[in-house]
Amino acid sequence: MMNKEELAPHVKEIARVLEGRAKEQDIERDLDNYLNVYRMSLEASRRHIVRKYGGDPNALTKGDRKTLANLGLNEGSVDVLGRVMSSTTREITVSGQPKTIQSGVLADEAGATIGFTVWDLTKADLKPDTNYLIRYAYTREWNGQPELHLGNRVVVEERPQEEVVVPEGISVPSSGGRSAPQTVKVSGLRDNMNNVTITGRILSMKSREVDTPSGKKTMFSGIMGDETGRVEFTAWEDFKLREGEVITVSNGYVKGWKGIPRLSFGERAEVNRPKMDFPSAEQLSGEVMRTIEDIERNGGAFDVTTQGTIVDIKKGTGLIFRCPECHRVVLKGVCQIHGKVQQVPDLRIRVIVDDGFAAMTAVMKKEVSEELTGITLKEALDEARESMDTEAIAQRFEERLLAKPLVLRGTVMSDDYGLSMTVTEARFATVDVKSEAEALLSKIEVI
Amino acid sequence: MMMREPAWRVFASEFNASTLEFKGEGEKAPSYVITPLGAMINRLFIVGILTDMQNLGTDQDPYWRATVSDGTDRFYVYAGKYAPEASAALAKIEPPSFVAVIGKSRTYSSDEGKFYVSVRAEKVLTVDEHIKDNWLLETVRATLRRIDAMEEAMQMETPTVEGLVNLGFPAPLADGVVRAAEHYQDPDVNRFRGTVLEALEQLLPDRGFDLPLPRDMPTGPEEIDDEEIDDGEKEEVILKLIEKLDVNKKGASLPDLIKEAAKLGILEDELEEINNSLLDKGLIYEPTINRMKRI
Repeated sequence: MMNKEELAPHVKEIARVLEGRAKEQDIERDLDNYLNVYRMSLEASRRHIVRKYGGDPNALTKGDRKTLANLGLNEGSVDVLGRVMSSTTREITVSGQPKTIQSGVLADEAGATIGFTVWDLTKADLKPDTNYLIRYAYTREWNGQPELHLGNRVVVEERPQEEVVVPEGISVPSSGGRSAPQTVKVSGLRDNMNNVTITGRILSMKSREVDTPSGKKTMFSGIMGDETGRVEFTAWEDFKLREGEVITVSNGYVKGWKGIPRLSFGERAEVNRPKMDFPSAEQLSGEVMRTIEDIERNGGAFDVTTQGTIVDIKKGTGLIFRCPECHRVVLKGVCQIHGKVQQVPDLRIRVIVDDGFAAMTAVMKKEVSEELTGITLKEALDEARESMDTEAIAQRFEERLLAKPLVLRGTVMSDDYGLSMTVTEARFATVDVKSEAEALLSKIEVI
Repeated sequence: MMMREPAWRVFASEFNASTLEFKGEGEKAPSYVITPLGAMINRLFIVGILTDMQNLGTDQDPYWRATVSDGTDRFYVYAGKYAPEASAALAKIEPPSFVAVIGKSRTYSSDEGKFYVSVRAEKVLTVDEHIKDNWLLETVRATLRRIDAMEEAMQMETPTVEGLVNLGFPAPLADGVVRAAEHYQDPDVNRFRGTVLEALEQLLPDRGFDLPLPRDMPTGPEEIDDEEIDDGEKEEVILKLIEKLDVNKKGASLPDLIKEAAKLGILEDELEEINNSLLDKGLIYEPTINRMKRI
């Protein structure tokens, strides 16, 4: 079901083709009727309405007409209607040849903005404070945001001033969509951050060759850390990084993977080597404690330690069997992909860990499960054989784990069901109740 | 996101003092009990001593009611056929023992507008003293954090969720505190400082304590003067009540009975004792769960 906002660009497009032969509200009503009552396809509905009012359906754009806010990171062919807020031209060098391109910012009626680049000025020359219908453009991701590209297929049509009225007071980012620089620690990194400045020690690094449209390129990835945690990074240029050194990255950006923030820096970034005291690589490789709610605020975290109580044991805990081909869990020896297989036994624990303010799922593989519970896969198999019950071991895990406070280390990601940690180390928390109680008491008595 | 509701750590005295419930919109929206300090409880994790247990149902279809004391007050914990695991686990526990309960908050309001809270168990298990101590510690910390949040809120002209989040409080707590500040109107925060000290006293039995005095008497269930009717008379009164409420010959429903007894100044706890006594004496029986019938 399309709502009013989603209908809006199509209504405008039909109105454009009809050149005043029908009112927008009539078009909107018709379109809503065709789509949502008669369930016709969008394309057919548009053509029907244009024909109904005596217009030429072939004048409709074929591309996908979108509002700026709805643009994806990688659109193949889109049509947008908007007003140019700013535009500048500059020289660049492409394959040794000088070339003039144009870049700027486009805004639409909803107040959304997007950076654009015109690659062929003979196809389009966008003037500020002018409305354009841009057809057959495409988008590419830049710093986690879509950017609109007008290539050699683009068709641009100037539109009347009243067709796009940009709300007053919208902030127009400078071309390129960058925000003001911000200096952050590792624990402050969040998905989609732009223009970050961060200092850390490179704990590990490797390089790899990738194919790009402009030829082979070497990229560098690794792990960087400060006293608040560790983060994976990717450098898209060769900054001559060395393992173990302390660097300050300026104009980096953050792209999340399943909520785990990852630092990226490329040709617009700068890398400096500050002379300063900084924790050693060894100090930076230890446990970094963070609360679940804190991790939740960042959407996830790489190699972090947290504490909580097990409040539930989920299905799939205990003795499980996997497909030898794809490692999927099999039921009764049948893999959903590979059919009947010689199943491989495995141990796994899936629990909910909760600290009273937030909760997350924690998944432990065999080695971690064995170490934590003291029950080995072999024992579990023996027991299952004896009792003829593969479920019994899950019950024993529950008895050992439920209501127990745990310290867990691992990488936390997030999806529609919340946070989930892939655990690399787990142990029962040992708490010195008396001294902690004393400490809390002194805090209250001060008040 | 389908986020799992966190299991709040809250002392019984704070939980039982709650008189506010919040239901989200929509059919499947969760409901929350909001305590005077702003805990916004859908799920909770409690540890204490299981002091008393009763089957309000039948042998085939048990419906358990257990009281779990954390040293500040008692939680009422229920488990029936909708939580077979918890119900089965509870059946095996012999009071008194240390138990941990993970459950959902439930509320009940009487016709007089009295508000009762309880816990519907999801998981019940026996635990050792170490788990209990750790829980006390965690709950002290959580309670202090709520006291902190509530005091901050009370200093704001109009407390807002955003304002509290900016001070570093988690959003669900900030939400609860803003609602609580409005509903409870200047909640007696010091009373819960006293609760915290009581809990710490359990952990440090050798230390002397100066308990801050609450501003006034607890805002929870009022004390009822028991002296008016003596025990024998009370049984007689309840018997008559059961007869009177047995309109369809299937027995008097327990919620009705609780309601009517409360009007006569007999609270749920006491009613339970009376019912037990009557059951023991063979004067009444339970034809179905939650129904009492005169023999």
